[in-house]
Amino acid sequence: MRVLVAMSGGVDSSVVAGILKEKGHEVIGVTMKLWEGDNGEMPETGCCTASDSEDARKVAAKLDIPYYVLDYTSSFSENVVDNFISMYSEGLTPNPCIECNRSVKFDHFLDQANKLGCEKVATGHYAKIIDNNGSLELHRADYESKDQSYVLHMLTEDKLSKVLFPLGTISKPKVRQIAARLGLSTAFKKDSQDICFVGKKDYREFVENRVNLYNSGKIIDIQGNQLGTHRGIHEFTVGQRKGLPGGSQEPRFVLEIDSSSNNIVIGTKKQLEKDFFLLKEVSFVKDLNYTDLQIQIRYNSETTPCSIEVLSDDSLEVKLSTPTTGVSPGQFGVLYSGTKLIGGGRIENSEKVRILY
Amino acid sequence: MNFLYLDHAATSPMRESVWDAMRDADRDGFGNPSGSHQLSRNAKNIVERSRESIASSVGAVPEEIIFTSSGTESDNWSIKAPFGLQEPTEQDLVVSSIEHEAVLASADWVEKKGFNVSYVKPDNNGKVQYENYITKVKESTRVASLMWGNNETGIIQPVSKIGNQLINKKELLFHSDIVQGFVSTKIDLHKAGINSAAMSAHKIGGPKGIGFMFLHNEYKIESYFHGGKQELERRAGTVNVVGIAGFAAAVIEHHKRFDEEVGVMTEEKSKFENLISENKNIEIIGFKEERLPHISNIQVKGVNSENLLVLLDLDGVGVSRGSACASGAQKPSHVLTAMGIGPEKANSHLRISFGWNTREGDGKKGAEKVLKAIKEVS
Repeated sequence: MRVLVAMSGGVDSSVVAGILKEKGHEVIGVTMKLWEGDNGEMPETGCCTASDSEDARKVAAKLDIPYYVLDYTSSFSENVVDNFISMYSEGLTPNPCIECNRSVKFDHFLDQANKLGCEKVATGHYAKIIDNNGSLELHRADYESKDQSYVLHMLTEDKLSKVLFPLGTISKPKVRQIAARLGLSTAFKKDSQDICFVGKKDYREFVENRVNLYNSGKIIDIQGNQLGTHRGIHEFTVGQRKGLPGGSQEPRFVLEIDSSSNNIVIGTKKQLEKDFFLLKEVSFVKDLNYTDLQIQIRYNSETTPCSIEVLSDDSLEVKLSTPTTGVSPGQFGVLYSGTKLIGGGRIENSEKVRILY
Repeated sequence: MNFLYLDHAATSPMRESVWDAMRDADRDGFGNPSGSHQLSRNAKNIVERSRESIASSVGAVPEEIIFTSSGTESDNWSIKAPFGLQEPTEQDLVVSSIEHEAVLASADWVEKKGFNVSYVKPDNNGKVQYENYITKVKESTRVASLMWGNNETGIIQPVSKIGNQLINKKELLFHSDIVQGFVSTKIDLHKAGINSAAMSAHKIGGPKGIGFMFLHNEYKIESYFHGGKQELERRAGTVNVVGIAGFAAAVIEHHKRFDEEVGVMTEEKSKFENLISENKNIEIIGFKEERLPHISNIQVKGVNSENLLVLLDLDGVGVSRGSACASGAQKPSHVLTAMGIGPEKANSHLRISFGWNTREGDGKKGAEKVLKAIKEVS
């Protein structure tokens, strides 16, 4: 079958192309050009740099597969970058990788693959698709330390039917071994960690260079007493400790960023803990009869046992078994039962959270 | 390999006679033409004979031809060198906004140095209008550039008319990139009033990595490469004898077979355009303008031609969307943008180009394949 492989120029997607080619599929390699500088230049750091697409091109040549760089700059800029900036300006913590997966990679890109006569799109994500009696489920990768199912939580069964994640059952060291065996130049290339369009720059600097977010406001405690002033809410994230007024006995943290009043609410670590919140724009939940539900509220964080209550078609209320400090509005909460992904959505504060104060 | 190559405007394969000339040149003349023994003299002879053939093909005298590495180098030299050594003055540069990237990026460099650069836009049909161009050229203009035929649309520009109008301005260097024009039209540089020109061998079946710069014998230009005293002390660097021999062989055969080859290009392009026009969503850019016989640029309404490019490649057909950037992703063309075509439409165009080894039937096959790809993608 004809498979479109999204190649970033890293070792993971290189190996995906290699494995599928070895299995006898008609493999087409594509690098999505997501982002460019003001003069059309490729970014110098992060992923999607000019040297990354050159690496992907070399791998494709080595594997003798057709390879193209396709232009996704306008889709990415409209869906991911604009969203990133507007969320920061509202005091929320965006997750651009999830936004990119949702609206670019597993949306426009799937459409384009279809137009190019491809049955499937394959990526180098570490996650597993399991066919359970004709129903497709997304599971954590066997190699758990690299598991990326969290950033793929928005994939509906329909989308899963068009996608392949060949690395779901392979370990990272094994991936490098395969790359070396296939003679791919990316075999020992370092993994990229940066936000691709921000690169090595501070994300705040990135946002500030694009919009004027400076709008000073008050820093208050939970009783509403003013403790100081700030220059703009985009300089804060929930849980942040740096840059807050001192003078208290206990260290203080950002509890809440209120974009409507432009206030930053700060308090103790204990006050930062929450056990109630909402999930909005929820996708993929079909069946809620689980007794062992766990929720992951950040990429690469541990899960916490929880229970849920359905509020509407696409919103849920989550109650954690133990309060935790990491709940950030704007971030995503993803539900699991064992390794199986149940669904996920965007975190919003629940009014019930006030009870803890 | 059974591949239908319709991207000659990007490059063309080498002619048999070019292979022969290059092999012979290295066997008989591998010596350094600047040396003083028999093998150097052999090499020198090859270079000078080649220069004569090439000069006469564009109506120039041999001293006016300086060998360079490429059309790009020649464009850079003519556009930048006159501004290179001076502090910004009142002098300025005039270029059309549909020039090749080599000219536009050089113009950008000149602008960043602090000189004024005027850009002349084409009309909506892709042709730079004589009056618009002439009014931009002032007493202070040091260099003015206009390409012979556009590399994306094939539209022929009024170079000769403008060149002859400017002919008495001895302080002005009128430059023309003739790289595409040379492929399928006859060019006499002096008659066209051109003072400097850029040309490259690989578009007419010569080797890559060799080009020439024509510099009218009444003009001098600052050297760009410094070192030995090669090329009449104008361009340092050991002379690329083999490349030059290949270049000359390509020019000679191109000249000899011009009517026949350009006849096939004209015929195949016309067949291609007739067939492709059956699809009412297709528009041929600059159809009513005088165009180079080897280039056709089509717009497929509502189709992202990125997809067409991929499907055609997978189906064994090589075309392009104009000029590719280093990353391989293709941006909306600056040429089409300058013609007032918005990004939505500029993303839906394909360039089909024919060349010296285009065969009878290529145009028909090409049209069938393009129509098939459009069907698949819609």
